[in-house]
Amino acid sequence: MYRLLLAVFLVCATAGSACAQSLEDLNVQFHGFATQGFLYSTNNNVFATNSSNGSPDWTEAVINLSLQPIPNLRISIQPRYELLGNYSNGFSLDYAQADYKANDRFGVRFGKVKIPTGLYNEIQDVDPGYIWSLLPQSIYPITSRNGQLSQYGGVVYGTLSLEDHPKLGKLEYRAWGGEIGLSSSDGYLLPYVENGINLPNGLTRTEAGAALHWRTPLHGLMIGVSEVKNFTITGAISTLFPSGSGVVPVNGEFVAQPYFQPDYFAQFVRGKFMIATEYTRLAVQYKFQFPGPAAPYAQADERSVFGMASYKISEKFAAGLYYSQQFSRGAAPGPAGYSKDWALAARYDFNQYLYAKAEEHFIDGTGEFYEDGLNPNGLKGTTRLTILKVGVSF
Amino acid sequence: MKRAILSLLFFWLFVACSVARAQDLVIVANKSVKTAEVNAEDLKDVFSGEKTSLKDGSHAVPTTLKSGPVHEAFLKKYVGKGDPAFRAAWRSLVFTGQGSMPKSFDTEADLLEFVSATAGAIGYVSAGANPAAHEGIKVLAVK
Repeated sequence: MYRLLLAVFLVCATAGSACAQSLEDLNVQFHGFATQGFLYSTNNNVFATNSSNGSPDWTEAVINLSLQPIPNLRISIQPRYELLGNYSNGFSLDYAQADYKANDRFGVRFGKVKIPTGLYNEIQDVDPGYIWSLLPQSIYPITSRNGQLSQYGGVVYGTLSLEDHPKLGKLEYRAWGGEIGLSSSDGYLLPYVENGINLPNGLTRTEAGAALHWRTPLHGLMIGVSEVKNFTITGAISTLFPSGSGVVPVNGEFVAQPYFQPDYFAQFVRGKFMIATEYTRLAVQYKFQFPGPAAPYAQADERSVFGMASYKISEKFAAGLYYSQQFSRGAAPGPAGYSKDWALAARYDFNQYLYAKAEEHFIDGTGEFYEDGLNPNGLKGTTRLTILKVGVSF
Repeated sequence: MKRAILSLLFFWLFVACSVARAQDLVIVANKSVKTAEVNAEDLKDVFSGEKTSLKDGSHAVPTTLKSGPVHEAFLKKYVGKGDPAFRAAWRSLVFTGQGSMPKSFDTEADLLEFVSATAGAIGYVSAGANPAAHEGIKVLAVK
């Protein structure tokens, strides 16, 4: 909570110098969007919802307020309400930042800022910005979105136009660092919570990263790489240990070794056609340490990849297809060690404000999408998931 | 019957002339913008939110009309999008924290007034709006 207040304070302090100006001079803007989704799945319940009976438990509403007291400085704040099954039902802050852009070559943001890693991390929570109802879950799991989206810290960014060598295209860079909080209901942590390990304050991690986007001389082709270094992940934990005829509460700590997370991606956009691909690997050693002998580290090693294509059939109608795969190296054989997802998507824009989406997923494996608690009879290996969504933005 | 056909002919002639006149647009900028010409790629980058300055280093503040044939013609010619897609793309920049929507105006006169009073402002109007007559405004040639 104190970080949230700090971010808002920093942003307000930056805005303070602008208070003497009129609203017109401040260029105040107010935008927002809201979506309502409906989920239906054939076998397993997805995203901690009762989707096999049909579930409307997927609602989002976002408000954005920004002001620009001088051309180079923009101050903005974006709160969000999100309901998604048992994962979330409340308010969060997407970002609250001051953005000073000296020129196209150099700018800096600070406060609570979005993390510009990968191909879609910054836009993954902006539903009006793409045709998909769900981005590929292997890399952008919606149940862990809040733990990936933004951090308390800063970002430097810019575009180096290689004008002396126009055949080389343009190079965009971003570098960032800060602290991120993962709530105990985050998708990565929920399985441990369900197994009796409480994380009353969630986990806190500090990270730094950098990304390069090369806009190649081939018009529409961007090739990029990002690398994140996670320094520490810590958090208090507690559980109940058997003792005699009863149980006693025991406190401990979650510990993870520092690790790197590389991400490689490319996107090609030409007219109404778009194709994109991304690959990332998350390899981390972690343990739950309780009083007593040192616990051994467990190893998680997930490799995730997707390929997608979309086509704008008309001004109002677009369709797309993607394949997304996540594979846990070293996992026991069986569907729990992987997730393969084919998705067919369509979007119709009624006007510039109102749109509707439909999406069908063919999911093989149980490595993503599911929470054990809502599938008490065990998970089946395959599931079909139908998503309908309407959205409005202004 | 003849009169009906003639009326229809005149109507379509009128529509065709209107469209042709609407597409006869000019790029205008505040006099603080150093350059006298701009290329189409720069215009696309500025009006897509990818750049905030022109090649000569001048700060650029994109300014648009809210609707109408001049607006549609500009977007189609220089940005490569229709108005809904143009606004949706800008809203994505807003929601990701990377930009603010360009100021937009109901009339060409309002746009010209803003451009003449705002350092770095750049916009477009129909040639008939006679932008050169406004103090503080220059017309940019498009390379």
